[in-house]
Amino acid sequence: MNIALRKKELVKEFSPLLLKPSKWAKIWIGILVGLILWGLIAFVIQVVKGHEVTGMRDNVVWGIYIINFIFFVCLSYSGAFISGVLHFFKTPWKNSVSRIVEIITVVSLIIGPIFILLCIGRLDRLHYLFLYPRIQSPITWDIIAIITDLIGCFIYLYLTFIPDFAILRDNSEGLPKWRKKLYTFLAIGYRDTSTQRKRLHKITRIMSAMIIALAIVAYTVLAWIFSLTLQPGWNSTIFAPYFIVAGLYSGIGVIIIAMYLIRKYFKLEHYIRKVHFIGAGVILLIISLLFGYFTFSEYFSRWFSHKIHDANLLDTLFNRYFWEFVFANYIGVLVPIVILFFKKFRTIKSITFAAIVAVLGLWLNRYLIVVPTLETPYIPIQDTRPEFVHYSATWIEWALSFAGVAAFVLFFMLLMRLVPIIPMSGIIDYEREGKVRPSELTQQQQQQ
Amino acid sequence: MKTNLLTYTICTLLIGLFLVPNTMAQEINLRDYRIRFRFKTVKQADQTRMLEASFIAANKKDRKDRLPVYGAEISFANVLEGEEVALGTAKTSKEGIAHIILPKDQSYLTDKEGKFTLKAVFAGTDEMKRQEREINTKDVQLSVELAEKDSIRTVQINAHTLDSLGVEIPLEEADVIVSVQGMLSRMVMDEGTIEDGRYEFEMPTDLPGDVDGNITVYASIEDHDDYGDVIQKETAQWGVPNASNKEGTNSLWSEVAPIWMYVVLTILLVGIWANFAYTITNLFKIRKEGQELETEPAN
Repeated sequence: MNIALRKKELVKEFSPLLLKPSKWAKIWIGILVGLILWGLIAFVIQVVKGHEVTGMRDNVVWGIYIINFIFFVCLSYSGAFISGVLHFFKTPWKNSVSRIVEIITVVSLIIGPIFILLCIGRLDRLHYLFLYPRIQSPITWDIIAIITDLIGCFIYLYLTFIPDFAILRDNSEGLPKWRKKLYTFLAIGYRDTSTQRKRLHKITRIMSAMIIALAIVAYTVLAWIFSLTLQPGWNSTIFAPYFIVAGLYSGIGVIIIAMYLIRKYFKLEHYIRKVHFIGAGVILLIISLLFGYFTFSEYFSRWFSHKIHDANLLDTLFNRYFWEFVFANYIGVLVPIVILFFKKFRTIKSITFAAIVAVLGLWLNRYLIVVPTLETPYIPIQDTRPEFVHYSATWIEWALSFAGVAAFVLFFMLLMRLVPIIPMSGIIDYEREGKVRPSELTQQQQQQ
Repeated sequence: MKTNLLTYTICTLLIGLFLVPNTMAQEINLRDYRIRFRFKTVKQADQTRMLEASFIAANKKDRKDRLPVYGAEISFANVLEGEEVALGTAKTSKEGIAHIILPKDQSYLTDKEGKFTLKAVFAGTDEMKRQEREINTKDVQLSVELAEKDSIRTVQINAHTLDSLGVEIPLEEADVIVSVQGMLSRMVMDEGTIEDGRYEFEMPTDLPGDVDGNITVYASIEDHDDYGDVIQKETAQWGVPNASNKEGTNSLWSEVAPIWMYVVLTILLVGIWANFAYTITNLFKIRKEGQELETEPAN
């Protein structure tokens, strides 16, 4: 196999993804930028007027910001976990999904912590966290874990990008000058020699193992922020593994949705195939069973022990939040299980539908972990105005939440313009090892 | 996709339907229920007397289905040969229980033997029949004495009634339960029979008490045909002081974290950052090799 020629072919095949965006892509980018600007306006209002413009009050001090934080951070940890597993165990079909997973990991880890900053009433005192950290506090552990994980994920993502930057540098005909310079800088002189390749594979493998461990530690610390308190609904010994499973559940769901959209809009049916959806669907099925089991254990033990504050919480969940509870913990778990359990339901569209239900259900599940607990405090506050006791998100919070989602999608699209969403180096490695089957050849190869 | 969408919609609706337990209203037919109206009197430790009526509807077929009658007004009275003295009224709680407490100096209409009759009445409604129960009881003076006899901790229980002249008549025979107050309920220590108005019990010395070593000993006559329920209690420093009631010290509330926390955190961070450093060092080596290849003259 002429590797240089093959690299050229791949660049030619993927260059439409990297070059000028289509009309529809521009419209999309416009909408996303509009949403982000809307969020910025909301942010300015929140900074000027303070937290009174949100639904957060004395009792419910955390709202949808913290829920988005948990959601995005868990998404990132699950991405890191899955990506690490794909690389470490050299999964055969990793090429089709690994870059999607890696980008999800890093982008969500950038977006997630922004939401925690929005929760802070006195942002001007933020630096105190670093100047006077309390090592005993899970918040400090979480800050350390997130920063370490963010740096680890950046290094890992960069390692996986280097061979593709080198390919793009060497085959950059028709690309703007600034891009050539950027690829040259980012490729750090990688020439795909056997020593360089070996060295890069070795450190990528080490980092993949490292980010699996980091993801588990960071997940655990995030869960401890809740479970180490004595609040009803949070003080639970299984919260850390429950968060890990829940994070994986949302992570795989988002990966499937991203796979579906990328496959459809970038016409990558040749690379992202039905078999990948079925594989991801089966993993989603296993995780949904585990998630259902943990959820049942969590609520059943609370219901059975019937401690007065737990009973109050369950009362709130089964009355005030009845439909949310049903959607999050029954429909959000059972519908994906039913769809994914039966082989004949396992089509690309149905697996994507199951993933959407799972992701929405899980977001609501996070909401039900945070808000109802804060609405049922140990000691009722003196001023019991309903708006102080019950939480309801304001347009400011929704605007910033949608801005976060928009920023996630926008960053994802921009990163896809920097490097191909299917790692070219992965395809070459795969073909170099002689694992390619005739049916897996690209259209150009088949024509030759 | 249309077929799939239809399948999902049906599945979702079905699951939703199964999970809504309150969608169908439950009709209750009183004819399926047997009314249980019970009445008891308890002479309490402070010499007051509690009159308690319980009002429950029990399903004739399903023994698990028991519905407390809520909000029913119960009238309590003391009766003697056609004469009736109202003692008070109370409404049943959510548990179907109505009770009133009579003061210790309450006077009763008594017969020649010193017995008096208490009555609880539910007047009835259009749906439910009138209910009435009577208890014929006698006032008992129960006392508990905690004394050390020859270094043996002894619970001495005395019980007597008073005749019309105020002469004490010791109880001839009545079952008594000796118990100790625990955290949630009373722990039974002994069960015996009061004879000639007396009963004695040797108390163990290793019972856990409160922080000061106090324990509360109860003597109770329960559900007796002539005396109903009678309870008396006494407290003494006979227990082992409970040291676990001391407030715990939490080292995480101190200004400085425990040493082990610094050690674990340092090991974790050094382990991780060493790997990052190793990776970055290798990246520099890759770059160096690339630069060398660039500067090498082409063959």
